[in-house]
Amino acid sequence: MAIPLKYNLRSLLVRKVSTGMTILGVALVVTVFLLVMSLAEGVRKTFTTAVSPLNLLVMRVGAQSDVQSFVEKEKYESIRTLPGIARDEQGQPLASPEVVALINLPRKDGKKTNVIVRGVEPVAFKLRPPIPIVEGRMYRDGTNEAIVSRRTHERFASTNVGDIVQSGSQKWQVVGIFDAAGSPYDSEIWADLHNVQGQTHRNTGYSIVRVKVSDAAARDLFVAGVKGNQQIKMDAKTEQAFYEEQMGTAKPIQFLAYFVGILMAIGASFGAMNTMYAQVSARIREIATLRALGFPRRSILLSFMLEAFALGLLGGALGAILATITVSFILTAPTGTQNFNTFAEILFNFQLSWSLIFSGMIFAVAIGLFGGFFPAARAARLKIINALREV
Amino acid sequence: MKYFRLVWKNVFRKKTRAFLTMGSIVLVMVLIVVLVSLLNALGGEAALGSLGASRAVVQHATGLANFLPLSYRQKIEQIPGVLAAAPEIWFGGTYIDQRPEHFFGQLSTDPEAWPIINADVEIDPAQLKAWQSERDSFIAGQQLIDRYGWKLGDRIHIQGSYILIDLDLVLRGIYKGRDESNIFFHNKYLENSWAGRSSQTGIYFLRVKSPDDVTRVTEAINQMFENSDAPVKAMPEKEFNLQFLEMMGNVKLLVRSIALVVLFTVVLIVANTMAMSARERVTEIALIRALGFRRGQVLGLVLSEAVVLSLLGGVAGVLFAYPFTAFLVEGMKHSPVAPFAYNFRVAPLTVLAAMAISVGIGTLSGFVPAIRSSRISIVNGLRQVV
Repeated sequence: MAIPLKYNLRSLLVRKVSTGMTILGVALVVTVFLLVMSLAEGVRKTFTTAVSPLNLLVMRVGAQSDVQSFVEKEKYESIRTLPGIARDEQGQPLASPEVVALINLPRKDGKKTNVIVRGVEPVAFKLRPPIPIVEGRMYRDGTNEAIVSRRTHERFASTNVGDIVQSGSQKWQVVGIFDAAGSPYDSEIWADLHNVQGQTHRNTGYSIVRVKVSDAAARDLFVAGVKGNQQIKMDAKTEQAFYEEQMGTAKPIQFLAYFVGILMAIGASFGAMNTMYAQVSARIREIATLRALGFPRRSILLSFMLEAFALGLLGGALGAILATITVSFILTAPTGTQNFNTFAEILFNFQLSWSLIFSGMIFAVAIGLFGGFFPAARAARLKIINALREV
Repeated sequence: MKYFRLVWKNVFRKKTRAFLTMGSIVLVMVLIVVLVSLLNALGGEAALGSLGASRAVVQHATGLANFLPLSYRQKIEQIPGVLAAAPEIWFGGTYIDQRPEHFFGQLSTDPEAWPIINADVEIDPAQLKAWQSERDSFIAGQQLIDRYGWKLGDRIHIQGSYILIDLDLVLRGIYKGRDESNIFFHNKYLENSWAGRSSQTGIYFLRVKSPDDVTRVTEAINQMFENSDAPVKAMPEKEFNLQFLEMMGNVKLLVRSIALVVLFTVVLIVANTMAMSARERVTEIALIRALGFRRGQVLGLVLSEAVVLSLLGGVAGVLFAYPFTAFLVEGMKHSPVAPFAYNFRVAPLTVLAAMAISVGIGTLSGFVPAIRSSRISIVNGLRQVV
């Protein structure tokens, strides 16, 4: 015999303020958890967008990122001839030499931070998903024109079309904004390979060579070639593996989310427990009456657990709403964090996915249930006689 | 004070409730203390040492990725007030493997200038001499010694990353006291083996006579190289350290906002508890009012109950924060933020702040229930049956 749910809901409504405060407490915990997690999710998404398992990066052995790597021109020529590389319509190998340089630019908030300038040849665009220019035009080869990614454009000062980005003696003229769809390139500035080489005094080689292979078998063949060839002796890894390593950046944030989330969740469940204890002691006579009417102990237990469940659920829902509003209306500008491997800033947006919201709800319900269990057990254990006597 | 016993009894009237409320305050205080210490560690406050205020750093104006000519050294050292300037290069190599837990600072420096600049660091004079006289030797911080169990005379191999050479170094000394997560080796070692860059350095680390000289000296340096090929940015050591936090973007803002929401939440929870217990005591409060207690006294009693409760939670929270921080430091050593782990500790000032915060929590959360209780009219209160 179950006690009607209506009893619990009405009981919650009778103590509006204390119920409301408990729900708000749970909601805030869920909001904080979701916001920090969506930050980590944003980083993860950036490093997994437009990343292909069939694209390989050839780098110097021991280099932790393309910024630290160097590939001599002669080695590039040898790499181009290795078996396994896919070819374009003209039969040219899809091997893209790229130079990566760091420049120090002021953000819109006035503080300076490092941005990657990537010098590429036209072949670079054939290896990647289409990268549309959303404003202005493409840079012309052989000039110091550059195109700026949308996120960089939103985060850094004077990166409009027509502006000049300058760092020391190096300068590029912005002629277009490109949209790299939230991929890692959305934190970069792109320009002509030879121009970047010249301006950064790196005419003797490139940072990395990016190569497209036709399939998994060709990939193994190519990797073996890069590592085994005496003239080359470099390291090759897939874009996927490369960016997974870079993802270490998000780990501390993720850890922070769990750390803050768990501590606060326990704190909030203590709060919920207090509320539920108060509910139980305020309703001792009601409980005794229910028991006297013939409701068994487990109905009482279940009933109070349901009440705690409702507290948690409502808190979770409110928290999810708060987090969604914050992410979609307040935290819309791209934010950045230091990539420890490149010393440049990587840009990302807060990403609140359904699975995150779901985990937030689970979290809230767990808070409610944990907070409700002991008070509900106490309610169920009450002796009818004593309870009815109590004033 | 004479009502302290009354307040104390009221705090613990419902033991479960008191401990649960304190429990949530404890957790929140642990969180706050840890977050604040983390911010301090990231900000490099702890790494400054006693001479931090009289040290400065000169880097390339466009950032650390660019190098400076070694010829600047003489010009910098000629500026009045400059005691010594050491050219240093961040080697950034790989020891053992690329896992982040094996990451530590590897810096080339001038071993003659180093002890002058780092006079607030302890090192055995004989070990210092040995290091200075041997070109392929290095000194390491105590924390690294503890981590790897290196002994004097041990050799280590570090693979270069952006600098295309490997290091083969022998340990000749151990230093203690400030930022013990680095090794230092001879800049001559790099100059000799690093083709093409022998006349360059990453930064200059310098010490000036007194903290008052820092501004004048850094301004003079900035002006001196303004129109050269490699313009510089000179700044106090503290600002240099902060720059790394800056690069991490909005971490500081993130941590601050988290702390704020956390505090708000705990005020909510404690206020809820206080309101519940005040509500249950309406009759009792009416009774003591009938006995002659004034409204102000009732207000004071309920408010001090909240403050005592949260202060107790605050003290316990700070005590718990110590082992917790130690645990976190262990965890951080295995992440990319490992270099910050060494400066991650609970400062006395943080403890003080935590105490102030818990008094704040008590006051804020006790305020509304206290005012309500003081407004109870005796007649209605006595009539009410809870």
